[in-house]
Amino acid sequence: MIRVANLVKTHGPLRVLDGVNLDVREGEVTALVGPSGGGKSTLLRCINGLESFASGEVAVGNDLKLTGGKAHDTNALLALRRRVGMVFQQFNLFPHMTALENVMSGPVYALGQSKASARAAAEKLLARVGLAEKAGAKPATLSGGQQQRVAIARALAVNPRAMLFDEPTSALDPKMAGEVLAVMRDLAADGMTMIVVSHDTEFVRGAATVHRMEAGKIVQSGPPTAVLD
Amino acid sequence: MTLRFRTAAAFAAALSFLPPLAAQDQQPLRWGTDPTGGAPYIYQDNDGKFVGFEVEIADFLAAKLGRASQMVKGDWDKLPELLDKKEIDVVFNGYELREDMVRKYAVTRPYYVYRLQLVAHKDDATIEGWADLPAREGRKGKSVGVLNGTVAHEYLKEKYGDKIDLKINPDVATVMGLVKDRRLDATVQDGPAAVYFCKEMPQLRPVGEGRNPGFYVIYLAKSDPALLDKLNAAFRDGVTSGRFEAIYRKYGIWNDDQERLGYWLDRPWPPFAAANKSEEEAKPKSNPWPRMLRELVEAAGVTVLLAVISFPLAVLLGLLVAVGRVYGPGWLAAVLGVYVEVLRGTPLLLQLYTIYYLIPKVFPGFDLTPFQAGIFGLAVNYSAYEAENYRAGLLAIPRGQSEAALSLGMTKWTAIRRVVVPQAVRIVIPPVTNDFIALFKDTSVCSVILITELTRKYNELYNFNRDYIVELAAVTAGLYLLMSYPLALAARLLERRLGTAHPGGRP
Repeated sequence: MIRVANLVKTHGPLRVLDGVNLDVREGEVTALVGPSGGGKSTLLRCINGLESFASGEVAVGNDLKLTGGKAHDTNALLALRRRVGMVFQQFNLFPHMTALENVMSGPVYALGQSKASARAAAEKLLARVGLAEKAGAKPATLSGGQQQRVAIARALAVNPRAMLFDEPTSALDPKMAGEVLAVMRDLAADGMTMIVVSHDTEFVRGAATVHRMEAGKIVQSGPPTAVLD
Repeated sequence: MTLRFRTAAAFAAALSFLPPLAAQDQQPLRWGTDPTGGAPYIYQDNDGKFVGFEVEIADFLAAKLGRASQMVKGDWDKLPELLDKKEIDVVFNGYELREDMVRKYAVTRPYYVYRLQLVAHKDDATIEGWADLPAREGRKGKSVGVLNGTVAHEYLKEKYGDKIDLKINPDVATVMGLVKDRRLDATVQDGPAAVYFCKEMPQLRPVGEGRNPGFYVIYLAKSDPALLDKLNAAFRDGVTSGRFEAIYRKYGIWNDDQERLGYWLDRPWPPFAAANKSEEEAKPKSNPWPRMLRELVEAAGVTVLLAVISFPLAVLLGLLVAVGRVYGPGWLAAVLGVYVEVLRGTPLLLQLYTIYYLIPKVFPGFDLTPFQAGIFGLAVNYSAYEAENYRAGLLAIPRGQSEAALSLGMTKWTAIRRVVVPQAVRIVIPPVTNDFIALFKDTSVCSVILITELTRKYNELYNFNRDYIVELAAVTAGLYLLMSYPLALAARLLERRLGTAHPGGRP
């Protein structure tokens, strides 16, 4: 469903991504592991179109494609981002909106849905991540784990067919990380296509495929047991 | 030659370089004037030299007193304060004989008899006399320009009140120019100014009879009776020798009224009783405060109106400029950068002056009323400062915020509008509030374009009620505070209402 071919991203003389190939099948959880600075987060950001790249291509489904070496086409970018959701290490909730408004922001401001219909869907999503009672709370009053769960609900609200997780639990203590990982497992069980950058070994063991990245290259791929042990 | 003798000779030689003792004793006669008050009283000729009938009379008086003539410049309506501070010896610039002034200062005999002259545009057939000024059935009152604090100002205010649209400005050439350009219907000036400007500007004509004759006099400190006697003696000489007449004829302002100067040389002076009473008992009986307070509060209303209309416009404009600078294409950012620097780098006074007086000369269609020009000028000037506030706010929002918005599929502009701008606006509430209060007080600059707001009204009242200078200043300052403090509180409330997370410290 997501296919990355020969992706090269340079930063001056540095090849941040150095010919990355990746194939993620529908409904599959793919984990990216490896040392910091290996290019895992940059790869996710390239897939989501937050970064441009020098050459290669990213394809999502059969019809959406980002090509290296030029500025991305705006319409393709918008369509791709609505198909691929993203969750950030620092949550990046909108501090001036309540939890519910955060979840509604995509459907209302990106998809142009009415507030009434977006509200009903957003309430269901908050319930799904276990935060129905926090709908009216501002992000600043929520714990880190709660904030990340709201961020996941927000990404899900535009009905993406795949989700990118960029170290979603790295900023959290183990208990809060556990809350977030539970939500992610639930999503995976539902058949969501996911690419996860994570240092959480236990979660990574549940993935279908694991890729180890070092110095901008995928150096090892395979089932968790093969890559991790 | 003995040593002693040589020393004495050297001492004598050194002394001979000093000016004679008598001249050292005689300080120059410092006469306070406001050259911007204009012709024919005092103005600069083509060589930049100050000329005018008052300059010539001052030189005459100084010569009679055996002193040098030294002009000291000040704001016309603040000349008495210069006298109080002993910066000048006499106030000498078309000051009329007024009871309230006589209570505080010593006064010479008159050097000129003036009348108030109505001046209108030559093509304006609707003004044929004084009776055409006030509002009548089916017709608005005429807009009439006067100089602040003059007898003409007081006369029109008392005679016509709200029935005419009184516009106040400190500069005679400006007011005359506005009548010439037909942006004011008429002006009332002292005779000499009317005569001079009707000659200089052929579009102007005197209308109706001269009214309310009065005297130009020189004011000086009561503590200097010797100077008063000398000046009066010099006046007698000037009148009887025909020297004054010669000067007035040179400037075209001699008329039959001046025959009375001779009459007043030997009559009791000044011609009202108040002068002989002490300052305390001479105070007028009726209490002027209800009227003054009402006028001050009305003017404060104009101040509030100027501020609350112009500031939201400044904020909106500033926000657009900031967004354009931060997110717009390079050429736009460059243009907006110039916009901000030009507006920040030039005085508001000059901008208001340009908008109201200069632009209509180049583009006659852009003829704003004073109030519109004031709103426009304040909004544009403050938009430059608000643009910088908002630019700081926009740059302070972490990149992750716009990335999160983009990752939800929002367009760049939707992300800016829904996510970045609302947060930036909240961050900069404190400096924006600051600017609102600053603008509030800057509304006083609008008095240069004929708007009577609180500070202008204070100046006006202060001129006619010099017995209450301190009280009026206190009340005016109090009114400003009374208006700006609630604004500050409201902004604080807004800040708390909209406030986002405060990562530490008292919000």
